[in-house]
Amino acid sequence: MNAQELRKAGGVRLSVPLERYELKCGASLLVSPRPGAPVTALELHLRGGPSLDPAGKAGTAYLTSALLSQGTETWSEEELAAQLEPMGAQIIGSASGLAARVEGKEWKSLAAILSEMILRPTFPTDRVKLQKQRLQHRLLIERENPQAQARLAFRRLIYGDHWMGRAAYGSLETVQKISSRTLRAHHKGAWVSNRATLAVCGDVDGPSVKRRLDRLLKGWAPGKILKPRKPRFPKRGVRVALHQAERRQVHIFLGHLGIRRSDPDYPALVVLDHVLGTGPGFTNRIARRLRDELGLAYTVNASISSSAGISPGMFTAYIGTSPENVDTAISGFLEEMKRIQMEPVTEAELELVKSYLIGSFPMGYERAARRASYLIASRIHGFPDDYLETLPQSFEAVTPEDIQRVAKKHLHPGACCLSASGPVKKGVLKAALRG
Amino acid sequence: MTARAKKDSAAKPIKAGAIIHEHRLRNGLQVLIAERHDDPVVASMVFYGVGSRNETEGEAGVSHFLEHMMFKGSARFGKGEVDRITTVLGGSNNAYTAPDHTAYWFELASDRWEIALDIEADRMNGLILDTREFGAEKKVVLEELSMGRDDPWRRLAQAVSEALFSRHSYRRPVIGYEDVLRGMSVDMMRDYYERHYHPGNAVLVICGDVNPRRALKAARERFGSIPARAAADEADPSPIEEPAGEQRVTTHWDDSSRRLVMVWPTAVVGSEEDYALDVVTTILTHGRLSRLQARLVHDQKLAVSVSASNDTRVDAGVFWLYAECADGVEPRALEEAIDDELKRLATERLPQSELRRAKRILAASDAHGSETVSDIAEELGEYAVDANWRLAVEGIERNKLVTAVAVKDVTARFLIPSRRVIGWSLPIGERS
Repeated sequence: MNAQELRKAGGVRLSVPLERYELKCGASLLVSPRPGAPVTALELHLRGGPSLDPAGKAGTAYLTSALLSQGTETWSEEELAAQLEPMGAQIIGSASGLAARVEGKEWKSLAAILSEMILRPTFPTDRVKLQKQRLQHRLLIERENPQAQARLAFRRLIYGDHWMGRAAYGSLETVQKISSRTLRAHHKGAWVSNRATLAVCGDVDGPSVKRRLDRLLKGWAPGKILKPRKPRFPKRGVRVALHQAERRQVHIFLGHLGIRRSDPDYPALVVLDHVLGTGPGFTNRIARRLRDELGLAYTVNASISSSAGISPGMFTAYIGTSPENVDTAISGFLEEMKRIQMEPVTEAELELVKSYLIGSFPMGYERAARRASYLIASRIHGFPDDYLETLPQSFEAVTPEDIQRVAKKHLHPGACCLSASGPVKKGVLKAALRG
Repeated sequence: MTARAKKDSAAKPIKAGAIIHEHRLRNGLQVLIAERHDDPVVASMVFYGVGSRNETEGEAGVSHFLEHMMFKGSARFGKGEVDRITTVLGGSNNAYTAPDHTAYWFELASDRWEIALDIEADRMNGLILDTREFGAEKKVVLEELSMGRDDPWRRLAQAVSEALFSRHSYRRPVIGYEDVLRGMSVDMMRDYYERHYHPGNAVLVICGDVNPRRALKAARERFGSIPARAAADEADPSPIEEPAGEQRVTTHWDDSSRRLVMVWPTAVVGSEEDYALDVVTTILTHGRLSRLQARLVHDQKLAVSVSASNDTRVDAGVFWLYAECADGVEPRALEEAIDDELKRLATERLPQSELRRAKRILAASDAHGSETVSDIAEELGEYAVDANWRLAVEGIERNKLVTAVAVKDVTARFLIPSRRVIGWSLPIGERS
């Protein structure tokens, strides 16, 4: 059976049941029941995230989440740990909220503890100090990590002084300025019910989750509605950054500003990505050329759609390679970007990618956490109810002409930023970029 | 499930909801079918009982390099076909090499998973090993090696492994050495492949939304005709020697971190000690309330992180303890605090509440680690090829049987200063 026949045969279908509720406190609740699931995942997303960091205090949103488990009005951090650890609960804080998972039957206990953490954290001074020390240590080590430095510099080249140009966990200088008071103030202003979306996936039923969370989150106050602001980024253009270091490999990040998730070209760009730089194994052009044929790298990829969010993401091509390969790698990236603009992709390439995207769609949803993340994404981006059915149809409709059109519109090989680290000179990078 | 299927499944072992059926083909291939119908997904994995453990000094890295070459063409599936077919079917594939085994993985929808068996059977018996592809892939492997050498933790772990296993092949990195890899020939790899890749040295695991009878038939059709081969006639790896005293190694890195790796030789996979050491690991480093986390990170602020792993293998295990000094803390202070906690665990009575907490954490970790059919296939296969697949099913029950006395005993027996290697990675210019 060929690729097209396989797709027409239908294959397996993905079903992620979705129940929508609004909690009495004003937060949105999404529930995806999955009878018999051994693990229950809970995820909380708050609009705003690191964009709400106070000026000069980048890392505030991140540290606020990290400190929620370090003490509440009812429980000390030791008491919280004593409840959470034996049930094997995992809670990961991020600048945009919390993600937690627990064995299925324990979700009620987890929900109670999470609610306390959301509503009544105390940010004890000694715990804030310890958390800051640990973060500062990490930042100090990261300063000498060439790959991390190149990645950060790449963001700065693309986003400039906008908050997206910084690491969500801040820098040595900004973290130093954050105090318990900063975190309390941030929590009060940003952790508000009407900016919150909760997703629960596991062996649960929606009405009982709603009843429980209504009770647990009673009193969670709403806040100001965030108004969308038009972001300002540096103009598109060639910019180069280099972090020199004595290492075996050079890390190269090449690219430019990307697209929003709401861009109507998103499905065509997902297909383009898979032809160009993210298709599995050596099925994409860049991996086939730079890894399989030339043996330049173990890790090499390129994508524009994977970072698309509410704000524009980045087109990023990455390779870690030996210094003598730098020129070949950069020219390889640029030539493949130009090629996909100039030549229509072949029918065989297109068929392969469509079959992959459509056939792999149901995969990966075994994990409760993945389903919960999907629920959150569906809310943030406003996916329609039938999105899991219509997105594969959008992939199916993409033509070679579509790919060429979106490649010309969204890829800019003549105006790429390039950030590198390792044993390489800036002149080599500039020369390679000029071609 | 039909009445007959129900009867077939009665009293079969179950792992995370998957009913396990065990078979062995006439050519020696062990086949494990784990039936679970929660999602329309099937993971199929082939494990070979060969890894860096089986290599000689002059073959260092061949197992891992061969793993790469298994994607470069076999009799029926030419170069690139494995990826192309997997992609067209919307699936995923990958592989990895460990000291004791090499594993190949496919995950596909349940209406098309059997193609994975075609590929695996073909490359078990008909790998091409083209000279040109061999040369191109060697460059990729050397880049992978360079990637690892840019990582201070990997460098340090390698240095302590070399000190811990003075003669046994566990001393060598799975990826091998640069000079050996550069000199490796395709003939040498072919010889290695022929010695180790045959049904009697392999386990096939099929896990997911399958009918077990049909899955077995599919396996028989693909693998049944591959001829049996005698096991490779080769010397066992050198014996593991009991350490003659504490050893120290130091590496340097150009940042300000002081990284610590302590290792002790321990027990083989699946032994009673293996399960007791799981509990030891949990008591010492799992979570805020674990002994080392509480003392080193939270109370005395000597470290920014601490973790441990119980890495039991076919010939011997390794207990790994990793820590990173907090800024301004002297390495000696960190070592002393660790020694003190290990001594406490080895000499004092373990409170039942702490033992219960550790066992609950291990049970929860098992649930989290068995969420997908690929998780289950991997655990079954690793135990099958290294020891006995039933350990994957019995593991949590055996953890539950561990007593406070057993925890104390294994700590006192294994985790003592005179048996360990202490490795420090220090800032450049700092003396050990």
